[in-house]
Amino acid sequence: MSPSPAIRTRNIRRAFESRKGFLFNEVVRTEALKGVDLEVDPGEIFGLLGPNGAGKTTLTKILSTLLIPTEGTAEVLGLDVVRDAARLRPQIGLVLGGERGLYNRVNARENLRYFADLYGVPTAERSRRIEEVLERVGLADAADRRVEEYSRGMKQKLHIARGILHRPVMLFLDEPTIGLDPKSARETRKLVRSLVADGVTIFLTTHYMFEAEELCQRIAVLSRGRIVAKDTVQGLRRLVGGDRTLEVEGYGFEDAEVNALRQLPGVSRLKYEEFGPRTRYTLRVRTTELTPPAIQASLSGHPELAIRERRTSLEDIYLDLVEEEAA
Amino acid sequence: MAARSYSRLRSLTASLRLAILTFLADPQWLIPSMIAPVIFGLVSFMLFQGTSATLVLYAILGAGMMSMWGQTLYGSGWATGQDRNLGTLEPTLTAPTPYLYVVLGRVIWNTISGLFGGAIVFAVVAVAYGRPLPLAHPLEFVLLFVFVILSLAAVGIVFSAAYVYTRYAGFIQNIGEFAFYVGTGCMFPIVLLPFWSNPISLLFPPTWALDALRVLAIPGYQGLSWGFWGDLVGAVATTAAYLAIAGTVFSRVEKHVLEVGNLKDW
Ligand SMILES: Nc1ncnc2c1ncn2[C@@H]1O[C@H](COP(=O)(O)OP(=O)(O)OP(=O)(O)O)[C@@H](O)[C@H]1O
Ligand SMILES: [Mg+2]
Repeated sequence: MSPSPAIRTRNIRRAFESRKGFLFNEVVRTEALKGVDLEVDPGEIFGLLGPNGAGKTTLTKILSTLLIPTEGTAEVLGLDVVRDAARLRPQIGLVLGGERGLYNRVNARENLRYFADLYGVPTAERSRRIEEVLERVGLADAADRRVEEYSRGMKQKLHIARGILHRPVMLFLDEPTIGLDPKSARETRKLVRSLVADGVTIFLTTHYMFEAEELCQRIAVLSRGRIVAKDTVQGLRRLVGGDRTLEVEGYGFEDAEVNALRQLPGVSRLKYEEFGPRTRYTLRVRTTELTPPAIQASLSGHPELAIRERRTSLEDIYLDLVEEEAA
Repeated sequence: MAARSYSRLRSLTASLRLAILTFLADPQWLIPSMIAPVIFGLVSFMLFQGTSATLVLYAILGAGMMSMWGQTLYGSGWATGQDRNLGTLEPTLTAPTPYLYVVLGRVIWNTISGLFGGAIVFAVVAVAYGRPLPLAHPLEFVLLFVFVILSLAAVGIVFSAAYVYTRYAGFIQNIGEFAFYVGTGCMFPIVLLPFWSNPISLLFPPTWALDALRVLAIPGYQGLSWGFWGDLVGAVATTAAYLAIAGTVFSRVEKHVLEVGNLKDW
């Protein structure tokens, strides 16, 4: 028997209506989500990737009770996000991040104390809890400074601290490491992993592919309001056609040669980019047989070729999926 | 259930605390909120200077009311507008406590600062007049005065809901402010207004409360002619109605903004 999922959505749709022009005459309808079905297991880190405007924040807000879906249903921790919002809210944390969303005229400690009270963090534990989260996000030294003096990254850390203050069972992180310096970003990823070790389920959106690859057990790619793929990174590699990526760079390729490359055994996908006179072909390769010497042999007219082999990265997969969807 | 009401009370005090800290972080805001009552007090004194003491009292009660409106009612709506401006409406609404309790905490703070505003008007006029103003029933007057503020706060809560509803609430409130000064009889008796508007004035708790204050303070004052107790009943009833409306309006408004998705707009 599998445990019931931490998140389950059925055909979630969400449209926004905005008005355009003077005196609000024209109503523009944007469909941000066009039928999203997802399941997230308890205790996993689930990653949601997708281009700007794909609908990631919209979905995150729906799951964290900040938006009501236009259609469809979603359950988080077994509770309906619309009907049972009041019971769900104490159990979830949401980090939307950004420059806004904090009380600028008071310090970090007071910001946290306010939300600790709103979330009903036991009074006896409140101070200790605040110190603990300040320490965990690395803001302990700046805790008494007013938030208006904070840099963007410091604000981001405070957003994260607030999100975990009430010890949620389920945490939504919308681009948690945006604006953080490399060291802080790494510490934040460490924090995320330590939360999971404590049993927290995490739903994360990010534009940093290595971050998703490093953290997430499973990943969904959202494009223009639709999930175009969801799987483990390994599963996604198979989906886009292979573990291995070979890059072939050189000058003056003939069409026939390109076709020959495409026909090589194990090649599942071929893309090219031009850099001035140079062209770079990127091949996704399913098998281990196709080696750089074999490619060099098939392009015998080009002794100047530069061939590199690497493991197909999540970024490669992501670009393949998003470009495919756009085409 | 007990745990829930406990956390609501905590949210209320947390919000009160934050309102005070925010104020203390920038106390220069005190200056405009002090200047307005002083000006209101001086203007009404100059207008009615040389007339009878009771007429001066009539005028300054209205002036005090106007400055309290600024502090209490306007302040309550404005604080919610600030939540929109800062982008804190979203995290506050994801918290388990209903937003109404956050608003109530701020309303308490605005009520206290409104009382200061009212007291300043009195002080200014008393200084200009050269002696304390003659009050017929000082104790009752002060108690009623506090109630007036609460009635303003009740209207303020409804205005807060408007700010949650839309970022255009400020526009509505600015127009509303003028209508309020005239409609509730702060500036001149509402019997001078066209007859059709009188029933509308009676929908505002401050109309009743202000009349009760005047009945109490000014010997021989007629006003709405329901007498002190009639006024008081009217004031209590309308205040209760506003609080009841605020309760339901808030949960509906919360639902509405989650549907429209305009929480982050400013
Ligand atoms: N309040 C709103 N009113 C109107 N349209 C909106 C609103 N919020 C989002 N949208 C639209 O919905 C779509 C999805 O937006 P969303 O913010 O979810 O994208 P995203 O995937 O989070 O993008 P990003 O990577 O840039 O954060 C966009 O087309 C956006 O313009
Ligand atoms: Mg987003």
